[in-house]
Amino acid sequence: MTTTSPQATRKYDLGFARWVYENVDGGDRLALCMQCGTCSGSCPVGTQMDYGPRKLFMMIRAGMKDAVLSSNTLWNCVSCYNCVVRCPRQVPVTYILHDLAVVAVREGYKEAVESDNARFSAAFNFSAERYGRTDERIVTGKFYFSEGLSAGFKKGMDNMKIAWNMVKTKRMPLGLPHKIKGKGELKTILDKAREIEERHKGGGKGN
Amino acid sequence: MTTKMTYYPGCSSEASGAHLDKSLQSIARTLGIELEPIEDWNCCGASVNHIKGGHAPTTAMSARNLAQAKAQGNQDVVTPCAACFLNTHYANEAMREDKQVYEEMNEALGAAGRSYDASLNVRHICEVLINDVGLDKIRESVKKPLKGLKVAGWVGCQTVRPHAATERGGNFDEYDNPRFLDDFIEAAGAEAVDFKARTNCCGGSVAVMSPDKTIHLMRDILQEAQERGVDCIATPCPLCQTNLEMYQGAINDKYGTHFDIPVVFYSQLLAVAFGGDPDGDAALNQNIIKAPKIAQVAK
Ligand code: SF4
Ligand code: SF4
Repeated sequence: MTTTSPQATRKYDLGFARWVYENVDGGDRLALCMQCGTCSGSCPVGTQMDYGPRKLFMMIRAGMKDAVLSSNTLWNCVSCYNCVVRCPRQVPVTYILHDLAVVAVREGYKEAVESDNARFSAAFNFSAERYGRTDERIVTGKFYFSEGLSAGFKKGMDNMKIAWNMVKTKRMPLGLPHKIKGKGELKTILDKAREIEERHKGGGKGN
Repeated sequence: MTTKMTYYPGCSSEASGAHLDKSLQSIARTLGIELEPIEDWNCCGASVNHIKGGHAPTTAMSARNLAQAKAQGNQDVVTPCAACFLNTHYANEAMREDKQVYEEMNEALGAAGRSYDASLNVRHICEVLINDVGLDKIRESVKKPLKGLKVAGWVGCQTVRPHAATERGGNFDEYDNPRFLDDFIEAAGAEAVDFKARTNCCGGSVAVMSPDKTIHLMRDILQEAQERGVDCIATPCPLCQTNLEMYQGAINDKYGTHFDIPVVFYSQLLAVAFGGDPDGDAALNQNIIKAPKIAQVAK
């Protein structure tokens, strides 16, 4: 999934929908959506989304690329999979939203790039790839400060009590980060996987 | 008789979910399951890595674990973590079902001299406890029933969704009204209250990064537990446990509530019921909100 999705040229342009059908994991089933609204009705955070999944899918069909990729729907989804197990047409809603999130960040939509989710993912990815394990201290630390220095200190202070409780109960280690032995091997595998993802325009198969 | 399985503990086992790992190891010993860790396992990517890390690389993280698991034998791979299960299961099934993914993942693994034939089964430990061990054996292993303990069984999302009612997910329960957790609680001799919020979501990783978006979800879960007068909430999911425990203070601040409800793992309840040490086996000393009533039974 590396090609830039086409911009809609007219108000209603199927180009974007077609691109999503072909390049987004589970997108092939999107065409089967019958707009029943079961997904949005099952969604625990539907009311705080700009658009619930049903509406978002209609907007994809209508070629409203910018509105779709800058919507906060992608950043409110809590991955509860209610929609997936309930959809009468077996549309893998959550998987589609996850993939659209990747597209939105990759294409540089401001709302996406600045979302907590994208910043958190960057912090998480740093720890996961560099050490092979996620160290909650590194992830949260990097995440807090990704908003700027003062915001970082504030959030850090707000969470000092939680952190201290975690230390006391031996659920937050104090030593060096946990590392895997095969860090080099993991990097080789992930570099190759990135190359694969860039090679074909689809490839957004996952998670 | 001991059954050997390949164990994927996941990153939380080394930190916020250390008490899940410890209590699970204890009950596995009692139930005759030998958990052999995947050697040098790496992070699965949880539900956030893909946004920055991309899809193929995130899938490849699980592929490396699976390649190593296979190098250790044909035993099923089990994990107690909902996110680990979801990602590892996803990678395994995608490689089994989609030739392109199979080839691409093997190309990535091949760069490091590894390969994986997608022949293993990836299973959630709760499914193993239901399908392989069985409730009868769990009941028979109880030495100290948790008499008088009222528990809200809170399943959360990803332990059952979206795989519990699928063939490859082991068909061990249903999505809307799963039974397995109440069955564990009752097997341990405690009372499982009728908990309507059993499959409510805490917000998962969104709760960690943006608690404002999901704090009301957690409040609703705690509210019902309080109304039902439970001694504790029990869950199978490491992120659910941490979220619901660590945000109670923030919830009380925001809503003027006075929640102070212990949130434990089903495996901690079982470890105590099996006669284990409250700290050495059940790791009850690792809960921030203590559950003295459970520890008392263990004495
Ligand atoms: S539940 Fe399925 S068919 Fe119904 S609106 Fe949602 S995606 Fe479409
Ligand atoms: S997975 Fe996301 S979109 Fe689907 S019901 Fe849950 S929060 Fe809503």
